[in-house]
Amino acid sequence: MNILIVLIPLTIVVLIGAGIAFFWAVENDQFEDMDTPGLLPLLDDPPPSSEKSE
Amino acid sequence: MNTPAATCWHCGDSLPPDPPQAVVAGVSHRVCCQGCRAAAEWIDQLGLGDYYRVRSAAPPRAPDPDRSRRSADAWQRPELARHVVRTLPAGQCEALLLVDGIRCSACVWLIERSLGAVAGVQSVQVNSIAQRARVVWDPQRADLPAILRALARTGYSALPLDAAALDDSRRRESRAALKRLAVAGFGAMQAMMYASALYLGAVEAMDPATRELMRWFGLLVATPVVFYSARPFFQGAWRALRARALGIDVPVALAIALIYGACLAQALHGGGEVYFDSVSMFVFLLLAGRYLEMRARHRAGNLADAMARLVPAFADRYLGDGTLEHVGAAELVPGDRVHVAQGMRVPADGVLDSASCRVDEALLSGESAPLRKAHGDALVGGSMVVEGPAILRVQRVGADTALAGIAALVARAQTERPRLARAGEHAAAGFVARVLGLATLCAIGWSFVDPARAFAATLAVLVVSCPCAFALAVPAAITRALAVLAAKGVFVVRTDAIEQLALASHAVFDKTGTLTDARLELVGIDTAGERDASLAWAAALARGSRHPVAQALARAAAELPVRTADAIRTVDGGGLAGTIDGRSYRLGSPAFALGAVQDDDDDDAVILAGDDGAIAAFRLSEGLRSGAAAAVAALAAGGIEVEIVSGDAASKVAAVAQRLGIAQWRARQSPAAKLDRLRELRAGGARVLAVGDGINDAPVLAGADVAVALASGAELAQAAGDIILDGGNLNALPDARAIALQTLAVLRQNQRWALGYNLAVVPLAALGLVAPWLAALGMSVSSLAVVLNALRIGRRTSAHTTTPLSAADLSRVS
Repeated sequence: MNILIVLIPLTIVVLIGAGIAFFWAVENDQFEDMDTPGLLPLLDDPPPSSEKSE
Repeated sequence: MNTPAATCWHCGDSLPPDPPQAVVAGVSHRVCCQGCRAAAEWIDQLGLGDYYRVRSAAPPRAPDPDRSRRSADAWQRPELARHVVRTLPAGQCEALLLVDGIRCSACVWLIERSLGAVAGVQSVQVNSIAQRARVVWDPQRADLPAILRALARTGYSALPLDAAALDDSRRRESRAALKRLAVAGFGAMQAMMYASALYLGAVEAMDPATRELMRWFGLLVATPVVFYSARPFFQGAWRALRARALGIDVPVALAIALIYGACLAQALHGGGEVYFDSVSMFVFLLLAGRYLEMRARHRAGNLADAMARLVPAFADRYLGDGTLEHVGAAELVPGDRVHVAQGMRVPADGVLDSASCRVDEALLSGESAPLRKAHGDALVGGSMVVEGPAILRVQRVGADTALAGIAALVARAQTERPRLARAGEHAAAGFVARVLGLATLCAIGWSFVDPARAFAATLAVLVVSCPCAFALAVPAAITRALAVLAAKGVFVVRTDAIEQLALASHAVFDKTGTLTDARLELVGIDTAGERDASLAWAAALARGSRHPVAQALARAAAELPVRTADAIRTVDGGGLAGTIDGRSYRLGSPAFALGAVQDDDDDDAVILAGDDGAIAAFRLSEGLRSGAAAAVAALAAGGIEVEIVSGDAASKVAAVAQRLGIAQWRARQSPAAKLDRLRELRAGGARVLAVGDGINDAPVLAGADVAVALASGAELAQAAGDIILDGGNLNALPDARAIALQTLAVLRQNQRWALGYNLAVVPLAALGLVAPWLAALGMSVSSLAVVLNALRIGRRTSAHTTTPLSAADLSRVS
């Protein structure tokens, strides 16, 4: 059972890491626009202006 | 495949007879105007042509390029720019734009990309719900007019908002709520993991050191949940206590504090059970309900934005020497003379200083037909000059205008409305209070019998009855209903509107724009000759015109063989003239067509005349909105008394009432009179559902028990509405009511279930018969039951009511 002494604190570290990542995401506008990202896979990459798509 | 679409490729509007062509990706498409042509080609040039492939709704018609360039350039004026642009510490500039016509997520993408392509623009964020775009740029390389011009070229008109709006309280609120929710969610998950180890440890032997460890880690994750995530409950409770009231927050905060405090004592003390998982989950579920509610609230329009959109930002003021100066509307003072071009909105209240014009006051007064104004007549700010130009002598500006008065009426009606306490929350609050009382009794009782077990038994009572199911019963049902309704194009802004919708006994409809459409319909032809021939002649003249009457005639003749007219002239204030097969015809008002002077009131009749007198008279009437008849019939069948209260003339209201089979109607009602009628109904014990779209309806909407606004209507009406109907399909209203009724039924079932469960379990817990793992399990199962029951909402009704596709939808699909 001694492995628990390592693993359980590790869950806390991972948890804190996830929390920090989430806070960062919220502060950096990742949750501002919930609509467009769903569209992005449907769109071609924006070509350099001279290029024509097909 | 290549059937020529009858609508504009860019915006979906109807096409003029000789439409311009836009060349996109090498293929030419027909568009309705130069604005749309420029927009479509510009989008293609930017390499954003994919927009047309992925969009799910057509954008608004693109603004006229010249006009939008002029108004964009006006923002160069430092005295205007100062109010809307904020300089960031790093030297960039930031502005918030209110963008008209963001219809789908493809619009958001298009705006972000096209603004991002402007040199010097550093970041663009578009919020499609609030219809706002936040733009940051480098003042060395770009400026506000350049950004507005780029937006206009893409086909959107935008209005910079006051810089004070940049400190967006909604944005701050939603970010804080999201963080709190995440902390509570993470905490609850983790605490549950440690707790399940403890519960299993109770079955299999677990050594005391490990138990101790689990307990401390449970405390570690639950502490931020209680002190950070649950802070809104403690703050709410504190506010309520200071105001000497008992809201929902007081018992909730007390329960959280008690459970957490007791578990903390157990953990420090060693021994006994801890319930950090329960308290974290309780907080998480409550926050989830509140978060969903907040999102619905943020969808609502905001009164200030609505006003900003109605009044034009600029005016053309006459200088002393007769030249025009483009100034901000806020700079106008009484006494100024202002030029208002045709198709523009009047910037302030005043009197007409030119010979005559026609203005459309439909949104303000409900009057469906444009009004003719003569020199000296009053013009109302916000109305649109449909036949101009007009010269306005400004009399009142800003807060003194009629429009501002209506907005004030809205604000007052909103505060006056008795906020019906949310029945569900109230029940939950009462329940929590009773549980707390019971827990106290239990503690006292046990302290006489067996003081050693008092603490554990009291804690078990608190946890097993932990009002999760109660707190969830209402939010789960409401949230499900919101989602089901949103899928049908019914956006609920104020969540208790669902309850009110189910309980409504009277429905008050506005007429113009709500029951009727902006379109006119041909309802009759009086002629001595052949009906079809005269209609075909009239349509030949009318086809080129954008006037609503002409368009109605052209639509009515769509199935007749096409005649072509030459030498078509438009005579302002009169009608159209042209020649067909060498004979000349005139189409328009009797005065124009017959050359006779008649009284100007009879706007309904349109005369077609040849050289030897009248040929036919066409009678036009407002078209009924799609689904209006079905919606009224369905509401009446559901036991609701339907009534029309309109600002329009009696004859028109009566005609519509008769067509819809509505017995009760009132005409010529001012906004204040409408509100009085509403109060009268309410005084008689009625629960009133108000449906409207115009600015003149806004006070009524704000004062009704539940207000339904049409998304196609005025922003001000939407700001006052509780429920917004998207797509203008009134048919969704009876559907929404059916769902509301079902929601109410599920809600009651949920509450009964929660009550039954608690009645069964709390006594056992009080007697100390419930093991801690059983208490936690019971709480979770009870919450789950409530959520699963809520998922039934919308199942039954969605099975057989599929919204029929309208002809417009079909043409767009093909």
